[in-house]
Amino acid sequence: MAYEQPSDLVSRAGRSLLNWFASWRSVFRFAGVAIVEALTPSVYNSATRSVVFKQIYFTAWQILPRFSLFSALFSFVLIAIVVDTARSFGLAGYALEVTIRMLVLEMLPLMTALFVALRSGAATGTEVVLMHIHNEIRAMEEAGVDPLRFELIPRVIGGTISVLALTAVSSALALALAYLAMYGFHLWGLDEFTRVMANIFDPVSIVVLWAKILAFGLAVTVIPITEALAAPQKLFFAPIAVLRGMVRLFFVLMLIEVLSLALKYI
Amino acid sequence: MKWVTDPDARRTLLAEQAGALISDDLPLRANLSVLENAAVVLQYRRNQDYDSAADEAWTLLSRLERTDCAFKRDPDLDTEERFIAKLTRALILPQPIILIERPGLLLPDTAYPAFLDATLARVEDMYEQCWIVDYPWNEPLYAHR
Repeated sequence: MAYEQPSDLVSRAGRSLLNWFASWRSVFRFAGVAIVEALTPSVYNSATRSVVFKQIYFTAWQILPRFSLFSALFSFVLIAIVVDTARSFGLAGYALEVTIRMLVLEMLPLMTALFVALRSGAATGTEVVLMHIHNEIRAMEEAGVDPLRFELIPRVIGGTISVLALTAVSSALALALAYLAMYGFHLWGLDEFTRVMANIFDPVSIVVLWAKILAFGLAVTVIPITEALAAPQKLFFAPIAVLRGMVRLFFVLMLIEVLSLALKYI
Repeated sequence: MKWVTDPDARRTLLAEQAGALISDDLPLRANLSVLENAAVVLQYRRNQDYDSAADEAWTLLSRLERTDCAFKRDPDLDTEERFIAKLTRALILPQPIILIERPGLLLPDTAYPAFLDATLARVEDMYEQCWIVDYPWNEPLYAHR
């Protein structure tokens, strides 16, 4: 029976570490390229625009009613719990601020990103890995169509816009529900509500919130696509590539959330 | 005709050519129809809007007498339709050379020399040269050329 030598173990661990760094480097590289391309006006020809619109349609528009209903229900339950608990502890004055900080700044952006990741991130990863395995990407290059600009970057742009839009919708619903839970169908609470909003949404919070949502939006498309493109061109690697993409995406979303919390509160 | 002795010779030859390649190794985009596969080349390369690009693709398919497959996607195509789709994508922009690689692989259920002759004759003004890459043991099939 052959035993593995310690030197073999070390070299294997070294190889794994190098592969790990290489895969992260390709994620950041693709994210960088995607940002530059998204800000380049010449990218937006009629072909790429149609892919962006399709991506927004399938990622955001198609699910908007169900997503709105779910996020309203989710927000309503959490608002009711927080307001009720705050009142029972005699802290009703803080209920609105706590609710909105918890929902709009933290939970809804993360929930939206997870929702889009599960629905569209997995689909995008699967589509790209199949394109890659079936050689469709090279076929497009041969036909004079840049696959990066036609197939990949529009998906990143569409996915990011979708996360931004869905987060905005769910946050607007949460704000409306929070007002209703606190003041009912009356306008007399508007002054206090506005003051609390101004207190919560100071410039630093807004910048951190925008940066976080943009990072979420990039992550839900960039990571599945990068993993898909890194897969060997064999069909049985397709599920492995999608799985790796989704697991890595989950950790990245959590990491972004923790970093944003650390930036704000530490 | 370009005769190649083995897969390595074939790959070397293809790598050296700059023509529009029609090959089993270069599939159609699976989630686009035949019409869209061709139109997207004009949309991307010439920034044409979809309607005018699709019109041009439709005209080309009409010349090839295969508009019946315009709205089908790759998995729904038979081998002749798939070949026509690839030819349309290759010719949607004027090409000096088109390269048909191993037609026996592209058209396994068709008497392909006659089919190729008939198909290419319909669009002969759209390219200057057509090269067919095949193995020497298929030479008798092209005796009429």
